[in-house]
Amino acid sequence: MSTETEQIQASSITPASAITTRQLRFCWPGQASAPLFPDIELARGEHLFLHGPSGTGKSTLLGLLAGMLTPDSGTVELLGQPLNGMRSGARDRFRANHMGVIFQQFNLVPYLSALANVTLPCRLSSLRRARTEPNPDTAAMALLEHLAVPESHWQRSVTELSIGQQQRVAAARALMGAPEIILADEPTSALDADNRDRFLDLLLTLAEQSRCSVIFVSHDRALASHFHHQLALGGDA
Amino acid sequence: MSKVRLALSLATASLWYRRKVLALVCLTLTLSVTLLLGIQYLRTEIRQSFTSTISGTDLIVGARSGQLNLLMYTVFHIGDATNNIRWSTFQAMEQDSRIDWLIPISLGDSYRGFRVVSTNDQFFKRFQYGNDQALELSRGEWFDDLFDVVLGAGVARQMNHQIDDEVVLSHGGGRTSFANHTDLPFRVSGILSPTGTPVDQAVYISLEAMEAIHVGWESGVGIPGRTLSLERARARDYTPNSITAAFVGLSQPILTFQVQRQLNQSSQEPLSAILPGVALSELWRLMGQFERALLAISAFVVITSLIGLIAVLLTLQAQRQREIAILRAAGASPLLIASLYSFECVALALAACVFALTLGGSAIYGLSPWLLEQYGIQISLRALNRQEWLLLGAIPVAALTVSLLPAITTWWRSRKLGFGAAGDG
Repeated sequence: MSTETEQIQASSITPASAITTRQLRFCWPGQASAPLFPDIELARGEHLFLHGPSGTGKSTLLGLLAGMLTPDSGTVELLGQPLNGMRSGARDRFRANHMGVIFQQFNLVPYLSALANVTLPCRLSSLRRARTEPNPDTAAMALLEHLAVPESHWQRSVTELSIGQQQRVAAARALMGAPEIILADEPTSALDADNRDRFLDLLLTLAEQSRCSVIFVSHDRALASHFHHQLALGGDA
Repeated sequence: MSKVRLALSLATASLWYRRKVLALVCLTLTLSVTLLLGIQYLRTEIRQSFTSTISGTDLIVGARSGQLNLLMYTVFHIGDATNNIRWSTFQAMEQDSRIDWLIPISLGDSYRGFRVVSTNDQFFKRFQYGNDQALELSRGEWFDDLFDVVLGAGVARQMNHQIDDEVVLSHGGGRTSFANHTDLPFRVSGILSPTGTPVDQAVYISLEAMEAIHVGWESGVGIPGRTLSLERARARDYTPNSITAAFVGLSQPILTFQVQRQLNQSSQEPLSAILPGVALSELWRLMGQFERALLAISAFVVITSLIGLIAVLLTLQAQRQREIAILRAAGASPLLIASLYSFECVALALAACVFALTLGGSAIYGLSPWLLEQYGIQISLRALNRQEWLLLGAIPVAALTVSLLPAITTWWRSRKLGFGAAGDG
């Protein structure tokens, strides 16, 4: 299924490594010292479980990986490209082209329908639009169907969806157009156990189909077994 | 280009989503734009109606006075004549080959506050207003008998007069008069169609009738025994000694200034000849200050409602943090997010303009017959002129300008946005 996609990526981007970070430090205004984040080395298609208690900088690390925060020191390299050298506009474009993001909750643009939320990345990135088969709408419907969002809800306002459905729509948006990296910030914390397991299963299965690397942040260590690697924050920092 | 289209579609969806809150803001804006545009429109219309109070008349000739004074008492029936002109002077003008027609008028009496204009059949034939429109009778006929009176449309409506009603004129102006020409009542012979000019607010009798009712009134009040009875009045022949003024139509308009100068320098008696168009625009210039102030006030109303719009958008900004975080995470640039505010603001302004046009248009369409009927104000529906389009076009531009405030703050904040809403890491 994803052979074509791979060829596109192989021609433009080093396929071997998805994420490489070195000696990352970031300090929020008013914070006394900048904590050092552990180095990450994640290969394409592999998944990383990131855990740790609150306040250990999990979201900060995701912000640095997403290119929305600029590190005080250290380097981030995504798909072989150093993020540090890029201007903010280029980082935005890179994120639109190569990244999917899932937040803890309130993931959806309230005034767009579920379907429009899913196709949003294709409207921000022509690369991701080009990767959809045969067009963004059909691909989005297929994803929503895979993620068991009832068809009757696709055109409706997202505020009418349950939390579980909202998170699955968010997952569909992150997977849309087969980005190489998905950043998920505790997307299951508002879900019950059944929903949580199903969500994780679907996300990882679909990510695997498009050889997408998932970085999954959670404080629920029980989920760690689903992932290739795990990394603890805060414990030794 | 696709980014602009995306921003437009997001802005549209966002506006629709917040329609309940924004509908009120849009209503405020609509009303203020309607006010602004309406005042500008009425300004033009009233000016038009004002300057077309009289047309086709080349000169107005009266006793020596200022041109505004002469215009006011002859055309607008406001104020009084300083003096009369002799009948012989009028006759001399009639002999002048350059003068095509003359309408003599004599003023001084009133009917329940409405001016009595004594004239002849030339008034009905020659007097024009608006775009060279002639007077028309809605009912009856122009006066023929000595004691016939023709009523303006406004007089007939307000006094509820019909043809053949009996009317008693009063001596002098003013709404209440203690000296009435009760001996010699008049009969309504005709009622003029509404014109939207002061013509509607006057009653018309013949020059002879004016003389007849004033026999025995030389001292200012009727001396019993010296005034005429109806029978005796009919038996006499009347030639006026003097008239108040005359409207002049020239055979060739190019002679206007020549004739005007000659009349002003007349050696027979001191005369003033004025060009009604020039006098009207001078009068409008005096009144223009007021309507300009009105326009400025309504412009401030629009500015106030635009500030209200921004206040609402800034309040909504707090609610939009999540949405901005999502769009940022999906790779939307700060510029795109900031542009949402500008697009929304301009779209609201455009909607308000469209609503204002509809509202104003239907108000004028619905009210203009009533306004003409009740107040004698003629306001017609017409296409907007250039100035009004510019004023209307300024509304979205102003909206764009004020939208820069939320747009720039959003742009600045979303540049510094961390992962998720705030940097809660």
